[in-house]
Amino acid sequence: MRKDLKRLDKKIRRNKSATKNKADNTNGGYKDGDQMVDLFKDFKEHSIAEFFKKNRQMLGFSGPARSFTVIIHELVTNSLDACEEAGILPEIEVEITQLAEDHFKISVKDNGPGIPEKYIGKALGKMLAGTKFHRYIQQRGQQGIGASGCVMLSYLTTGKNTIAISCFDKVRKEYEIGIDLKRNEPILRKISEQPTEESGLTIISEYKELKYEKSNKGPFEYLRRTALANPHATIKLKEPDGTVSVFPRSITVNPPRPFEIKPHPLGISAHDLLEFCQRYAKDYRKLSSLLQEVFSRVSANKVAELRTIVPDVDFDKNPALVNWEEAEKIVNAFKKVKWIAPSMDALVPIGKEQIEASFKNIFNPEYLVVTERSPKVYRGGIPFMVEAAIAYGGGIAAAGKKGEIMRFANRVPLLFDTSSCAITETIKTIDWNRYNLKNFEEEPIVVLVNFVSVYVPYASTGKLAIAPEEDVMDEIKFAVMEAARGMQRYISGKRKTMELATKKRLVMRYVPQLASDVAFLSGEKKEKIEKKLVEIIESKYSKEVEEEETKEEDNQNEEKESEEEVDVNE
Amino acid sequence: MNKAVLEKLRSLGKKITEEIERGESPTFETPLRTKANTIYDEGLGCLRIGDKKETRKFLSMSQAKTFMQTMAIAAKTKKFIEEELHTSIRGLFYQLKFTLGEDIEEDLFSEQSESNALIEDLEVALGIKREDLNLTTDRKGFVAGNMIIKDKFGGEETIIDCSKQGRSGWSIPSDVDNDMEIKKVEANYVLVVEKDALWQRLNEDKFWKKENCILITPKGQSTRGTRRLLRKLADMNLPIYALMDCDAWGWYIYWTIKTGSMNLAYLGRNFAVPEAKFLGVTMSDIEEFPFLKKLTIKAKEVDIKRAEEMLEYPWINKHKEWVKELKLVLKTKQKIEQDALQGERLTFVGEYIKDKIEKKRWLP
Repeated sequence: MRKDLKRLDKKIRRNKSATKNKADNTNGGYKDGDQMVDLFKDFKEHSIAEFFKKNRQMLGFSGPARSFTVIIHELVTNSLDACEEAGILPEIEVEITQLAEDHFKISVKDNGPGIPEKYIGKALGKMLAGTKFHRYIQQRGQQGIGASGCVMLSYLTTGKNTIAISCFDKVRKEYEIGIDLKRNEPILRKISEQPTEESGLTIISEYKELKYEKSNKGPFEYLRRTALANPHATIKLKEPDGTVSVFPRSITVNPPRPFEIKPHPLGISAHDLLEFCQRYAKDYRKLSSLLQEVFSRVSANKVAELRTIVPDVDFDKNPALVNWEEAEKIVNAFKKVKWIAPSMDALVPIGKEQIEASFKNIFNPEYLVVTERSPKVYRGGIPFMVEAAIAYGGGIAAAGKKGEIMRFANRVPLLFDTSSCAITETIKTIDWNRYNLKNFEEEPIVVLVNFVSVYVPYASTGKLAIAPEEDVMDEIKFAVMEAARGMQRYISGKRKTMELATKKRLVMRYVPQLASDVAFLSGEKKEKIEKKLVEIIESKYSKEVEEEETKEEDNQNEEKESEEEVDVNE
Repeated sequence: MNKAVLEKLRSLGKKITEEIERGESPTFETPLRTKANTIYDEGLGCLRIGDKKETRKFLSMSQAKTFMQTMAIAAKTKKFIEEELHTSIRGLFYQLKFTLGEDIEEDLFSEQSESNALIEDLEVALGIKREDLNLTTDRKGFVAGNMIIKDKFGGEETIIDCSKQGRSGWSIPSDVDNDMEIKKVEANYVLVVEKDALWQRLNEDKFWKKENCILITPKGQSTRGTRRLLRKLADMNLPIYALMDCDAWGWYIYWTIKTGSMNLAYLGRNFAVPEAKFLGVTMSDIEEFPFLKKLTIKAKEVDIKRAEEMLEYPWINKHKEWVKELKLVLKTKQKIEQDALQGERLTFVGEYIKDKIEKKRWLP
């Protein structure tokens, strides 16, 4: 089943690339490509709406509760990207109004640059028209179904068009946007136009077949986590019951813009290679020069090496003429060559201090550990990084969080498909007993994992779970264990302190009675004896804390070392 | 008012105050009252507590409360002495059964068993007995004989003549030391009979008058008061003769009088009468007085077990007479009650005792 979805996913992506590269798509004769062109024809003939209706779940719009969160996700992600790209600190307002049992109006407003009239139709009224597809750059989403998908869902469930208000270049323009489902073309009608000092985009759309849930998978939690992973953004939410929540930003600098990198030969599949050949056929006459220019770490020497590994492949042929078999051979040959590791500087994590600030701001936990780890590579060629944080007690307890895992991919909260996600699966294998957290599920604890990569290996098209890549799982494990060790030190220290405090309290409660009896026996003053006794107890129990803590630290260090060894062996 | 005891309590308070002054955890040292620390003192002829001691600290989780409770008992009993008022150990418990504070859900004492044990600790630690702390125990035990007692009690002095107590006898109080004085004893010996029934028999027979002895029954196990009285009479050079059942209980009662018991070994020599002699009833009496043969009872398991245990005790098995006696019990598996002596004639008991004493036929 999942294989089917993957294939379909590929087809969609291919289809989209076909649309985008229509001009230079010379219909390069590979089998898979042919099938996809056929499929794309099917869309046109049977209307994109029907395809969408049938395959809604593939885009994440499955089930009334999940669809709700996905809509919020698509619109808010668009807003965040737009603001960051324009160098504006994001300020996003989400307002949800319930119109009937399953009928909602959703308004998402940002302070981004707005969209020029020329592009607004395409951006919101044409499926798969985004600019994000298949670039080796760290980004929130990887497909362009986003906002236009919402516009379509709105139309399909309510028959209504979406209202978009774009404040761009000092002009406020209000539009009604629909999609010509037969032609997959936007239908745009301008409602008003007036000058403004503001900038930004507001999208107001209605939906049916939705269910608002205040659960761990609902819009509130989605936005809270988005705010957590995006400390530079201020996010406001008005819920159907009128509750207004504000998650204010905790830092006032946008994260650095991730930049695009050339793919590393070890990180691509035959399918990817073919696509590059198709896309860049007009730029490079020879396959060998395309390989050297489009991919990183491929030099003339390396091409020569490839030639000797697969002598039957003609590296001088026109890239457009490369077929599936050849692509497969080349990709297999890639695996036999020793490559320099890919460049890691394209990764932009949230950052240790930023996560700390953000957690304090949003949850104010009693204790927080954030790990800082260096980038790694999976599949030999794709750089990635894992950020992990464990927050304990305080606001975490107040928020009712117990043993909760917060998954993120490039700062985007992953709320669904929990069981198939590499993050959940990995954390499940951790023995919390080792970290003095016997009842992980019952403790006021949140584990945050942010997977950062130029290419996120999603487990399915819904993009809400990370595929269980071995390198990725290992790194997640190490990151979480590192944080857990920090937490363990705190918790055991805290337990010790609490035990001592309990002891002290117990002894203290006997002091007045004892002082009065000893005073009566000896004939001395009760007050004097009591005061001195309190002093003795105070100094004894504070001393014990210090002594025991130092001992504890030493033990921990030893343990840590031995544990590290175990990790390696595992 | 017992000035010496008051001084001991004051010193205890003083020592603890000094420890606190020095910034130390207050401590309370008490001899260990365990079986392992109970020894038989050959020289004294009785059981006593050994040299092992335990130091209780206030700044210790497991001992803090006990420490405080011990001081509460010490302080409270000091007050009793100063006020010249007595109470029972239960009365003391109720005096100390109160909450430690308005918002504290914990009582100073919640069970009498807690305070009972700590009273014993205080006794042994300070080398005093509970009666010195104005703590009374239940009375049990009666006296008839030529003995004059001066009893100062409740601010009044009373002279008691134990020869003029009719059929009931003088009831031995829990404390025969404080405000109590034996003015005069005119007797040849002291006779302790286990059972009240036998005491009444001998009283009716005017046995004590005819024999000029002090007739005492502890009515089973001796109270502390009875044991103290026996000690004091022994100190007046009166021989102490005991007439008990020939069974587990009878032996136990006798040996408690003579050497003290394991449980109360801390009381030591002041409560023991090593000079006491065991007149009977013995296994050899059965041979001596044929009528007793028919009156034996089959020994119970507890009697057999007790006999076996006694053979193990060094302070018992050092007497060959007792070894012989106990082995006979184990062999015949019979026992005999002192009441059996009345089996033939009610007045036989007196003759039996006289005969035994005359012929010195007793067990040590």
